[in-house]
Amino acid sequence: MPTTLSAFNGLDEKELAELDAACGWSLSGLELKEVQRQFRKMGRQPSRGELETIAQTWSEHCKHKTFSGPVSFRDGGKVKKYKNLFKETIVKATKTLNKKWCLSVFTDNAGIVEFGTGGKWGLAFKAETHNHPCAVEPYGGAETGVGGVIRDILGVGLGAKPVLNTDNFCFGRLDTKKKLPRNSHSPERIMRGVVEGVRDYGNRIGIPTASGGIYFDDGYLLNPLVYVGCAGLIPVDKIEKKVLPGDLIVSIGGRTGRDGIHGATFSSANIDEETSASAVQIGHAVNEKKTLDVLMRARDLGLYNAVTDCGAGGFSSAIGELGSDTGARVRLEKAQLKDTRIEPWEIWVSESQERMILSVPEAKLGKLETILNAESCEYCVLGSFPGDGRLLVTHGEEKVVDLPMAFLHGGVPNFEKPAARRKVKISAAPPARPAGLGAVLKDLLAHPNVCSRHSVITQYDHEVQGGTAIKPLQGKYGDGPGDATVICPRAATLDQEDFAGFAVTHGFGPGVGRIDPYQMALHSVDEAVRNLLCVGADVSRTAILDNFCAASPRDPEVMGDLVLAAEGCHDAAMAYGAPFISGKDSFYNQAKDAEGKEYPIPISLLISATAPVRDVRTAITMNFKEAGNPVYLAGVSCRGMGGSVYNDMTYSGNNQVSPLDMEASVKLYAALSKAMKAGCVAAAHDVSQGGLGVTLAEMAFSGGFGAELDLSGAAAEKGLTPLELLFGESPARLVLEVVKEKEAEFLKLVKGRPVAEIGYVSEEPVLEALLGGERFFREDINDLKRCWKKELI
Amino acid sequence: MIIEIWTKEKYAGNEEASFIGRLAHAGLKIEAARLSRLYRVDAEFTRDEFDKLGSSLLTDPITERYSLSPGKTGLKDAYRVEVWLKESVTDVVGESVKEAITGVMGKAPGAVRFGRAYYVRCDSEVKLKHAVTRTLVNAVVNKFKIEKV
Repeated sequence: MPTTLSAFNGLDEKELAELDAACGWSLSGLELKEVQRQFRKMGRQPSRGELETIAQTWSEHCKHKTFSGPVSFRDGGKVKKYKNLFKETIVKATKTLNKKWCLSVFTDNAGIVEFGTGGKWGLAFKAETHNHPCAVEPYGGAETGVGGVIRDILGVGLGAKPVLNTDNFCFGRLDTKKKLPRNSHSPERIMRGVVEGVRDYGNRIGIPTASGGIYFDDGYLLNPLVYVGCAGLIPVDKIEKKVLPGDLIVSIGGRTGRDGIHGATFSSANIDEETSASAVQIGHAVNEKKTLDVLMRARDLGLYNAVTDCGAGGFSSAIGELGSDTGARVRLEKAQLKDTRIEPWEIWVSESQERMILSVPEAKLGKLETILNAESCEYCVLGSFPGDGRLLVTHGEEKVVDLPMAFLHGGVPNFEKPAARRKVKISAAPPARPAGLGAVLKDLLAHPNVCSRHSVITQYDHEVQGGTAIKPLQGKYGDGPGDATVICPRAATLDQEDFAGFAVTHGFGPGVGRIDPYQMALHSVDEAVRNLLCVGADVSRTAILDNFCAASPRDPEVMGDLVLAAEGCHDAAMAYGAPFISGKDSFYNQAKDAEGKEYPIPISLLISATAPVRDVRTAITMNFKEAGNPVYLAGVSCRGMGGSVYNDMTYSGNNQVSPLDMEASVKLYAALSKAMKAGCVAAAHDVSQGGLGVTLAEMAFSGGFGAELDLSGAAAEKGLTPLELLFGESPARLVLEVVKEKEAEFLKLVKGRPVAEIGYVSEEPVLEALLGGERFFREDINDLKRCWKKELI
Repeated sequence: MIIEIWTKEKYAGNEEASFIGRLAHAGLKIEAARLSRLYRVDAEFTRDEFDKLGSSLLTDPITERYSLSPGKTGLKDAYRVEVWLKESVTDVVGESVKEAITGVMGKAPGAVRFGRAYYVRCDSEVKLKHAVTRTLVNAVVNKFKIEKV
């Protein structure tokens, strides 16, 4: 124990900062002063356990101080003030939209929307990041990230049954030439560890990992991003939970050890060479499976009143949250331990995995114990929720924590953070046209952000539970890149006659964010909605999650990016009628590079989206299906190469981001949705990374068909160049293969929208694209596929 | 006691090729490799009892062999890299195997730790160490040693 701890109330600013660093709390000077003030008022020194509890409760990870705090945003001469950025953007959109099918938003461990038609089920959805742990120990970090987000689903309401895992990663380029600092891992190694961690946890616990993406950029060289998500089904009558005074605190699942101490506060710190092994957490999927099985049985028998997961902060966070109204009386000597060489305060804040906390009426403990024993799931009764609003934690005779809940949860000071718009030089000049557009297409298909992910996807068991109706890899050969996954969750509903399902997908565009964070948010929401549309989901019922990752919020330009992206989220959610139902943020994603300079990530926003599929048998895949069918391009191709893969490969001289016309997009998607419901569309694929050329190539080689195309009829902005048409990434566009016999009906349904025929699917395995009399390229689809199908791992 | 298990040569081609590829990516050319799993069982069992664990619990007799004397995998003139989780790091495989051993033997070992051994025929121990630290070992959670066999 640091010697200054016992004299905490008398420490000066410098001594407080030194103590904070020594203990790994990541509290600011202002926060430390406030803690000092409170304990002076109480007339005593704090214990180590109390300071640890405060540090984790007030951590960025638990309190989201940056996003939920006041911000002053300067944009040129204008200043806009936010009291609570999160509430005034993300939450505001959801509240304004006020969708009746949103059953629980922003109040629990995950968001819940209605599922199916009978009103019996809710679909819980959540995505998290586990960036810092993965930078230190990729395998363990990824495993415990997956385990943690599954526990969020187990801990929503009275517990949902997980039916789908999602995974999205950002790594440095595998071929990077940048020199890495000592002790940092190469991107290849981080990727391998992360993929293996996600694979092993998901496969062992028996949940399909079936939706995700990988993005490579040297901005993530030192700070990989690992987004993991989970969706689950919950009976609507099990959504409400309430701790009742007198309930017992029961911990089930894994034992408590010294692993993972300071995970919550660690996520508020920059990673450097001094990063400690104690922040590493180790996952145990089999223990979590036992916990899952116990919870589902006990939930249906009504054996507990509330549940939550032990995540960051461990018992301190979970019991503190559950007992925020009632208080809690905890006896740490009752905890099941991995190791007896552990301090009481460490038991309290340890982030050992696979633990859930239940609030159990004493009369029902016996029945719960019977199930726990039957499932070989370890447990302990840690204490009770007394109803006096006081948190009292002891270990034998030792008092570890004795604090009023009101101070713990309401006492965190917050201060206004300055934010400013980053200046980016925009060039709107016509992009330089290279020779040989066919060669460019091949290079784009081989680009790390476009090429096949099969070597990662096929490591995951995406079939377990038997509900994966539309799979991540699609097409004639089972290797085409799907836009979204469709799940028919009969493993949860147990109704073999019900074909209702849901689609899940993502939108992500940090390349755009580097230029225009506001447009990045719009593009990301649009991409996610468009992906859902491509599989035939009902996009009028889209629900979305936001996961922001950024560098240090102490940098006003980082905060400026965040403000702009959050405003974009609000505007996109309103335009698409798609409420945010849950989200998370992760800051301080920056580290020192080999030269000792700060190396921040670009502003990164993952939009995860879900929408219902009324009958999974009618869902659509992305590959061409039949020679002779007409091919249509929906949406207007706009000027701008900003944020494109092409620009990453060879800068075109134009970095303008194509702005999204949301009103037009919503109308277009509504018309296309009708055409899909009428069975007019045989295949659909969004135009995103790599542009139209890549989309057409993927549809062709995934179906084993060629296509003869003339793009001269495509709806286009005035002045659009061939390069922008083929490889620009302007949003709100998708390619459709229309059923020949239903073409007239299709045209009737999309009348008045920018939907243009561009050619036909052909038997000959050749993709040919013309613009009037000019041939852009003519390429064998097997050659194109060879370029695309690289082994990433 | 350490029980070492490795894939029979005729089935080991894929794992060995993949491993050689990983080390090549880290800049080390190697002539041959063999991989094995290690279970350190801390228990007062007899040699026959350890044999029983090796033969009937931990080894697939069709595709794998085991030995109670580490280093018997058959790859000669090679370096042996032994990698373990640090003692302070939770070993979930070890925990699961401990439960399984308790079930089979009717008595619990004190502890079980899981590790791996890599047999590598290459020309430089220095280069090998460099490649190992870049690909197989994370100093935050692992400990390792290299010896000539």
